[in-house]
Amino acid sequence: MIREIEAFIYREARLLDERRFEEWIELFAPEGYYWVPGAPDQEDPYQSVSIFFDDLPLLKTRIQRIRHPKIHSQEPPTRTCHLVSNIELAKGENIDDQIAVFSAQIMTEFRLDKQRSYSGRVRHLLRLTAEGNFEILWKRVDLINCDGLFETLTIPF
Amino acid sequence: MDSYDQVSLSSLIGPDRVHKDYYIDPEIFKLEIDRIFSKSWLLVGHESQVPNPGDYVTLTLLDQPMLMSRHRDGSIHVMFNRCSHRGARVCTKPSGKALRFECPYHGWAFHTNGNHAGVPYPERYADGFIKGGDFDLARPPKQELYRGFVFVAFDSEVCDLDSFLGPMRDHIDNMVDRSPLGELEAPAGMFRYRFAANWKIQLENLNDLYHPMFTHASTTAEDGTQFRRQGAEGDEAGKVKLLEKHSSLNMQWEEQVIAGHAHGHTYMQRFPMDRENQGPVYERYKRSMVDAYGGDAEAKMMVHHHNSIFFPHWSIQYMTQHIRIMNPISVDCTENIIIPLKLKGAPEEMWKSALRSNNNSHSPSGMVMADDMDAWVRCQEGMQANGHDWIVFARSVGEESIDNEGSFEGLGTSEANARHQHKAWLHYMCGTVQGV
Repeated sequence: MIREIEAFIYREARLLDERRFEEWIELFAPEGYYWVPGAPDQEDPYQSVSIFFDDLPLLKTRIQRIRHPKIHSQEPPTRTCHLVSNIELAKGENIDDQIAVFSAQIMTEFRLDKQRSYSGRVRHLLRLTAEGNFEILWKRVDLINCDGLFETLTIPF
Repeated sequence: MDSYDQVSLSSLIGPDRVHKDYYIDPEIFKLEIDRIFSKSWLLVGHESQVPNPGDYVTLTLLDQPMLMSRHRDGSIHVMFNRCSHRGARVCTKPSGKALRFECPYHGWAFHTNGNHAGVPYPERYADGFIKGGDFDLARPPKQELYRGFVFVAFDSEVCDLDSFLGPMRDHIDNMVDRSPLGELEAPAGMFRYRFAANWKIQLENLNDLYHPMFTHASTTAEDGTQFRRQGAEGDEAGKVKLLEKHSSLNMQWEEQVIAGHAHGHTYMQRFPMDRENQGPVYERYKRSMVDAYGGDAEAKMMVHHHNSIFFPHWSIQYMTQHIRIMNPISVDCTENIIIPLKLKGAPEEMWKSALRSNNNSHSPSGMVMADDMDAWVRCQEGMQANGHDWIVFARSVGEESIDNEGSFEGLGTSEANARHQHKAWLHYMCGTVQGV
């Protein structure tokens, strides 16, 4: 099982790096969401500001925007490399067909001669579908600089 | 480098243009800190950031390390975050709770109102050396609270807050009055980010109606409508139509009032294509407003404005509900602090949607902010170029009406808002701020 989950998570990272955003959001369940809290130790997304708190319709809007021919802030586009490691299955949190996965991630991005790096702990809650595939119920990224000073961000972590 | 005198300062500002040095000369930036920011009322934040006695937040105001706390008697105190002994920053956490502040270097202690509370082993100081308020945490010479908004001024000669705000005081009232309890709250913290552009470029942008259909084109769907930025989930809410079909200008923009008052303040009316929210949540909100204000409820609920800019340092955004504090860091760097605002007593669903709207449009990944910041940085970079020395603000020049009190009113894609700021800038810089 862990090998299959690793393969799923590595592929997810690769889809983002290859700018295959439409395929990336297809990994989410219809009720799935993507959350990057703006403060440490958040218990729910309404406790504090969030850097991203996107349900599927909003993720679609975000991707449409990245594909828009007049998105000047992605000219040239941001290049990213997501490095995912330290994958563990959370014991005791798995009910029925749901699997909680811990990982650590570094995303390095480059645009217009500037390189930046973002590190954080990632949690996925995956569901095993009837067809035997995984889908993302939620993905949460806790950046170590979540409440720090930022520059603009466009590509999801 | 030669210092600027009144003649050379005036030569930077034309009736329909400003010289590029206005944005790129570090000498100008230094003068601005002394002559504009130090002579203005600056917004520190909202009192609800420190709800209970002993609560404090640390913050940067211009380039100054500051501390805002609530004392045991409930009063709010803004202080420089600097120990009166060896100069260490006393508090370093973004926010916290303290019975009293203790400097970790040599243990000097201060009450939560900034008063000196004592030094360890005082016997080695000369008799009477530690006395009175000599070693209190220093405070800005002026501090005022208006309906929860905390202000300070770094110069004791600044005019009183009421005169400084003038008619803009109504713009604070309009935001606060939308709460059934007549109170705002800032319970969700803040976004902080920096961009590599002069502070005035953002100020000129916030009430600029000439840019949305170009700068923010990528935020629109095929029908020219922007993604939804207001209204509780389940309610019907107005969406902003930036463009007509085939990317042509939506002429409704030209009906929108842009205006301003003395001291360089400007504002923009609510989008004309916007309309009142409708639905079960909004109905509940209406009822709570009628319960609270009776016949005045309708007037108090009305959203009058989109952005109101309190020159030179902060703004209120009414649609997404936030305060924006704009700290000038250097000639080519500005720090934004975005604090979402909750209408106390309004349905929780409205707060949730306001918070989400702030996340979507004004977080570091915000789809609206990213467009703007990219454009501002491009300006700062482009202005380094030779060939053209002037930045042009000539749209509808002279069409705005101007009165004797220093107020103006213009329409739509006119660049009158920026011209108003340029005039105020020159008055501040030449020391002739009165009347503007």
